[in-house]
Amino acid sequence: MTQNKEKKTKQQSDHQEPTDVTTSTSENQSVWAQSIPMKEQGQIIKRMLKFTLPFKWLFIIAILSATALSLLNVFLPRILQEFMDKYLTPSRGTTRVILGFAALYFLGVLLKAVLQFVSNYLYSVGSEKALESVRRALFSKLHTLGMRYFDLTPAGSIVSRVTNDTMSLMDFLQFFASILTGLLGIITAYFAMAALNGTGALVVLAFLPILLVAIWYYARYSSRVYRRMRERLSELNVKLNESIEGIGVIQEFRQEHRIGQEFEQTNGEYLATRKAMIHTNSLLLSSLINLLYALALTAVLAYFGLLSEHVFVEAGVIYAFTTYVQNFFNPISDMMDSLSFMQDGVVAGKRIFRILDDSTIAPQQHPDASGEITAGKIEFRHVSFAYDGEHKVLNDISFIAEPGQTIGIVGHTGSGKSSIINIMMRFYEFYEGQILIDGKDIKDYPMTELRRKMGLVLQDSFMFYGDVASNIRLFNQDITDRQIEEAAEFVQADRFINKLSRGYHARVIEGGTQFSSGERQLISFARTVVTDPKILVLDEATANIDTETESMIQEGLRRLRRGRTTIAIAHRLSTIKDAEQIIVLDAGRIVEHGTHDQLLAQKGRYYQLYQLQHGVDATAEPTA
Amino acid sequence: MGIFKKLGWFFKAEKKRYIWGLIFLLLADLAGLIPPRVIGILADKMGNKQLTLSLLAEWLVLLAMAAIIQYLSRFGWRTMIWGGAATLEREMRSRLFAFFLKMDATFFQKHRTGDLMAHATNDLNAIQNVAGAGILTLADSILTGSTTIIAMLIFVDWRLTLMAILPMPLLAIMARVLGRHLHTAFGESQAAFSRLNDKTQESISGIKVIKTFGQEDEDVADFDKIVDKTITINKKVYRIDSLFDPAISIIIGLTYVITIIYGGTLVVNQTITVGQLISFIAYIGALVWPMFAIGRLFNVIERGNASYDRVNELLSEKSQAVAPKVDSAPVVSGDLDYQIDRFSYPDDPRPALQQIHFKLRQGQTLGLVGRVGAGKTTIMKLLLREFDHYQGQITIGGQDIRDVPAASVLGAIGYVPQDNFLFSTTVRDNIRFAAMDQDQDAVEHAAAQSAIHDDILHFSQQYETLVGEKGVSLSGGQKQRLAISRALMVLPEILILDDALSAVDAKTEETILENLKHDRQNKTTIIAAHRLSSVMNADEILVIDNGQITERGNHQELLQRAGWYAEMWAKQQVESQLGGEQHDAE
Repeated sequence: MTQNKEKKTKQQSDHQEPTDVTTSTSENQSVWAQSIPMKEQGQIIKRMLKFTLPFKWLFIIAILSATALSLLNVFLPRILQEFMDKYLTPSRGTTRVILGFAALYFLGVLLKAVLQFVSNYLYSVGSEKALESVRRALFSKLHTLGMRYFDLTPAGSIVSRVTNDTMSLMDFLQFFASILTGLLGIITAYFAMAALNGTGALVVLAFLPILLVAIWYYARYSSRVYRRMRERLSELNVKLNESIEGIGVIQEFRQEHRIGQEFEQTNGEYLATRKAMIHTNSLLLSSLINLLYALALTAVLAYFGLLSEHVFVEAGVIYAFTTYVQNFFNPISDMMDSLSFMQDGVVAGKRIFRILDDSTIAPQQHPDASGEITAGKIEFRHVSFAYDGEHKVLNDISFIAEPGQTIGIVGHTGSGKSSIINIMMRFYEFYEGQILIDGKDIKDYPMTELRRKMGLVLQDSFMFYGDVASNIRLFNQDITDRQIEEAAEFVQADRFINKLSRGYHARVIEGGTQFSSGERQLISFARTVVTDPKILVLDEATANIDTETESMIQEGLRRLRRGRTTIAIAHRLSTIKDAEQIIVLDAGRIVEHGTHDQLLAQKGRYYQLYQLQHGVDATAEPTA
Repeated sequence: MGIFKKLGWFFKAEKKRYIWGLIFLLLADLAGLIPPRVIGILADKMGNKQLTLSLLAEWLVLLAMAAIIQYLSRFGWRTMIWGGAATLEREMRSRLFAFFLKMDATFFQKHRTGDLMAHATNDLNAIQNVAGAGILTLADSILTGSTTIIAMLIFVDWRLTLMAILPMPLLAIMARVLGRHLHTAFGESQAAFSRLNDKTQESISGIKVIKTFGQEDEDVADFDKIVDKTITINKKVYRIDSLFDPAISIIIGLTYVITIIYGGTLVVNQTITVGQLISFIAYIGALVWPMFAIGRLFNVIERGNASYDRVNELLSEKSQAVAPKVDSAPVVSGDLDYQIDRFSYPDDPRPALQQIHFKLRQGQTLGLVGRVGAGKTTIMKLLLREFDHYQGQITIGGQDIRDVPAASVLGAIGYVPQDNFLFSTTVRDNIRFAAMDQDQDAVEHAAAQSAIHDDILHFSQQYETLVGEKGVSLSGGQKQRLAISRALMVLPEILILDDALSAVDAKTEETILENLKHDRQNKTTIIAAHRLSSVMNADEILVIDNGQITERGNHQELLQRAGWYAEMWAKQQVESQLGGEQHDAE
């Protein structure tokens, strides 16, 4: 049995060889390269196990079944031993006795099958549920993190945390299962042997130190080899992925030869590490355990052989005892084999907890915040802000927007325009100055109130997978189909939506790529209109828009702004020419403030910008 | 079994390895037959009080020897066969990679990166499984299976053997059927995983929208729903997976029951000894795997075969480009004469280009403007030898570009595409991507030319900084400028900027264009752009619409024509995007 089991597990684990390829494999590398101190490993494991607590009953029943299973594995050989020694050796077995034993044995087998199913299935389901609860925890946690976190962390790696790393956790729990069932098997096998013959059991036990040394050595040595192999593999896959994505560049610059050679080298290195892994496993893993088993068997038989000089040794005892020796060694290679899962699990766990422990929390409102926005007056009072807490991107910003007014913000790239939006929308926390809405501190409004009354239209209109209606409604089920249509009509998105074959139920694929950027903008306008915000925050879209789209959007924008206090980052002067106030930002400070005409008359920064924009004939053009 | 034939080339090449592997496997099997028999014999001898010390010693030495032979031959076959699988995987991966490098744009449009990666990982894994697990299970079920049954026949009793192995084929059937179900269920589980992945991806990408509308809780609820579904689907996988062990137990249990009844009767009749019965039971254990393996073998083969066919189908695709792009050849130079009467993309009858005629003397600059999709990039593609089946001809220095190796043409061109791809290596190696032998001075010069040098000095490790996730994350404008310096490194005869300045702000654009003008006096430059300021200083500007030239001339001439160009110019002037034309920095 040992041999069979051995091949089976080996094959499975070979089958499970890492093939997980994600865009973020590159960063696995760095984590793989470092080893984690023992103490930290222990803490990580402890925390990971906590996730199994809610499903403890699944695990408890699974473990109880596994325990019962080990006992049954002790019991079944005893049946045969009884049978042999009491009825076969003395040739006393009647047909009835024989059939009776057969029935008893089969009953045992049926029970065994049930226990195997229950323990395997419940354990797996428990692990799955634990894994998914980690996913849920991660996902919820992500939504509490501030924008800063997302600025600093590539999306690919976050996704990989939620999906791939949690998968390693599953393997990690399987590792525990194999350790647990292994230990159960070993312990019950030992006691079963001791019950048959105490000295014989000690003979087997004498092999334990060698076994432990082998396990310890394997664990140490193989984890190193394994880590190297994983590093090479992720390197290989990164190269592969990158070469496919960058194939145009490679071919245009005729670097096929060099890139091909570099790939060959990595490919060869991976093969070498993989062969090293195969060597290590062949040398130390199940082959070695088998050798130890065979030697222990020899020793046991020697002992019983010598014993039989003096005492009568029954054949059944030999049968049962040798079977137990097998049971004793059987689970060990399985246990060793799953060691790598622990490695994977700890590394994944470390990364998961880094997110769960991240303190880049989204800005918090005052705990007793209960304000309600009615008029929509906005006031900035000496607000300063730095993304990194060091380099100020906003410096002493003050202005007042009366209800219904439009404020245009103008400035170069990097002047701080977007930052004003970012802190006003509470994407980032600011620590200096105050923002007031309707005369009350912005932190005194519950976040839901802010979100409901302040509408932000972003430059890039993100589309979700689903249909047009769901992209306007988002998750807000209170919004009726009628309202969606009205909103679309209002921003004149209905013109193109009605032309779609399925209208509002037309599918939107990933990224909404089937729509032009103008159409996507209009949908996002409708998304904002439908929530009917008091305050509108606009980050105007600009890049590569054709004439028709342009006029489409301009009209939509005009309608959108009607009756709302609007803060608009302007990329076109036409949008803000008629704004009640225009703020000119430079290096995070307000350098000019006034209406279009006032600012032009000042002949300052705005005037320059205006001229720059209008080129040579700007002066010729009459100002509005 | 067809897959073994298809992989014949590999097994032939690795003949020695596999022959040795099989020999070791046989040796291990034969040595494995010894312990059960010895246990049985010793049990009998002890029971009959016939065991002498010397006899005991003899048997024990045999056992120990068998143990050592088993260890060594196990090490042997494992290294040989698993090593073979690893070698096959390497080989296939090399082939695929070399193939990818040869393929043209059409191919990469047809196949998405993810799919190609799946071929290079999952399919290769299934194929290497054939050379590893496949060979092993095949050999094992034949070798271990037959030797064990022969041992049972010889050492124990032929009638008992025939009776006892009756339920064994059930193992193979069970392994096959459950394996297949598991595979299907696993496919569903994979799909569920993808959905989860997509959902997460979308939520992260759209995080700002979700925050804006305060939909965090709803998004989490949506995620929870998907998770619930995933759990349901995965439960099915575990249900099937958990059935394997019990099924084996029951089938083997049946064999034991037969052995107890019939073997027991034989012992009572004194046809066989108890020791023989003990050996027999141990042999049954040795048969479990080979029988089970037959069933698994089918699954391994089935999957390997499908994967091999998929990969081969991919490998059989032909590149549309007429000449291979890999060789090196003398580089063409001279005036560019572009005379295209008509060109249409493969599988598309509509003309993509019609009557595109222009001449560009060495050192001149051409501007291409027009709507997105008007055909600007197509004009460049023909120059880049991506397609050769057009009516008309393109000559450089009087040489038809189709008459020389593609390398001669490409060597003359520095192309900066719209979607500039950078590699996750150092900034320096990205710049000297096409000229790895160049030193730091040359790299810095190119960087300075494209106005990125100062930015680089601000990176944490300057030119050593890694690009991408592990290093600096670059803004769109920085990426474009790096891509430009990469093209400048090869000192191209013809520099093509295909909307490659779109994310660079106006001032920097001016600097770069000025640098180019100064440094590339005798070299030709083609600039395609949306923003007209990029081309206003060109010697000739072509307005492209619908694959045709609708207006041409220099900036002043075009303004006077009062056509599309003049209209766009005015529009861009009036609504010129005030610091917002790019999302650089901030």
